[in-house]
Amino acid sequence: MFIIPKEKEVPLGCITPAPVTEQTMMITGNWREYRPVIDQEKCNLCMNCIVYCPDACWQLNEAEDEVVWNAKYCKGCLICVNECTTEALSKAYELDFEDGVVRLEKPF
Amino acid sequence: MASKVKQITVWARGVVQDKEGRDIANGLANAAKKEGKFTQAFDNYVDLPDRVNVPLRKYARISDEEIEERYEYENEKPEVVIVADATLVKGINVLRGMEKGGVLVVNTDRKPEDILKFIPNRDLLKAIVCVDAKGICGEATVDFSGSEGGVDAVGLGAGMAAPILGALVRGTNLVKLENLAAVVKNKEALYKGHEQAVVKTL
Repeated sequence: MFIIPKEKEVPLGCITPAPVTEQTMMITGNWREYRPVIDQEKCNLCMNCIVYCPDACWQLNEAEDEVVWNAKYCKGCLICVNECTTEALSKAYELDFEDGVVRLEKPF
Repeated sequence: MASKVKQITVWARGVVQDKEGRDIANGLANAAKKEGKFTQAFDNYVDLPDRVNVPLRKYARISDEEIEERYEYENEKPEVVIVADATLVKGINVLRGMEKGGVLVVNTDRKPEDILKFIPNRDLLKAIVCVDAKGICGEATVDFSGSEGGVDAVGLGAGMAAPILGALVRGTNLVKLENLAAVVKNKEALYKGHEQAVVKTL
């Protein structure tokens, strides 16, 4: 039987520590035609948007007790608008907003 | 030699506007060919065009003499840039590589001023042309039969590409409208786009 010495034990592959919270190699904010807009008064913090967003673009701000949207990586798939239980989220055309500009030089 | 080649870049959205972007580049090249010019039209595969909504490029080149730069697959200095979806101006530097005096054609129902505020390098432009192609002929046609050299089953310019090509004639003198009408399938939309286009010279 092959025994790995204790001092040479390697960590599990699935829990590789990564000191980054975003992947700057692939910024997907410019895929968006329509964006989700949140009405904070209607939101009851059911967390459906956080669970269903494929790119983790909805985050819970625990200090303010509200969900926050990430304009840099949101692809505009609008899954969150479909999954919202209280109709706090609605879609809006991107050119109506000044912010959310991700002006890249090349698509990738 | 290279300076005589007129480079045209088309920006479109992946999959949903793949056919429209291809039709604009091919229609332009085919119409210029009828005037006796030397032309090329091709896709850019670097942009991962098989993902929905990614920004992607289609290229066309028009020249009075034979085009020798056959093995360059990107238009480094586009003279005319066509944006098939207006929201792309927020996500991409669409005028990249353009020299002063270029023309921008945008498919949008907004005014030219609303588009220009999202373009920081707007001093490069000679004119901007806005046309509401979606309002003229509805949603884009999604079809892949003509891609990568296959036979196009739907026909060139059956959808949104036709009014955009009509609007292009208003802002530039690359091709004549009657030559485009001989190439494009939806001729009514072509003429409508030519009439309804809003041109703003800067």
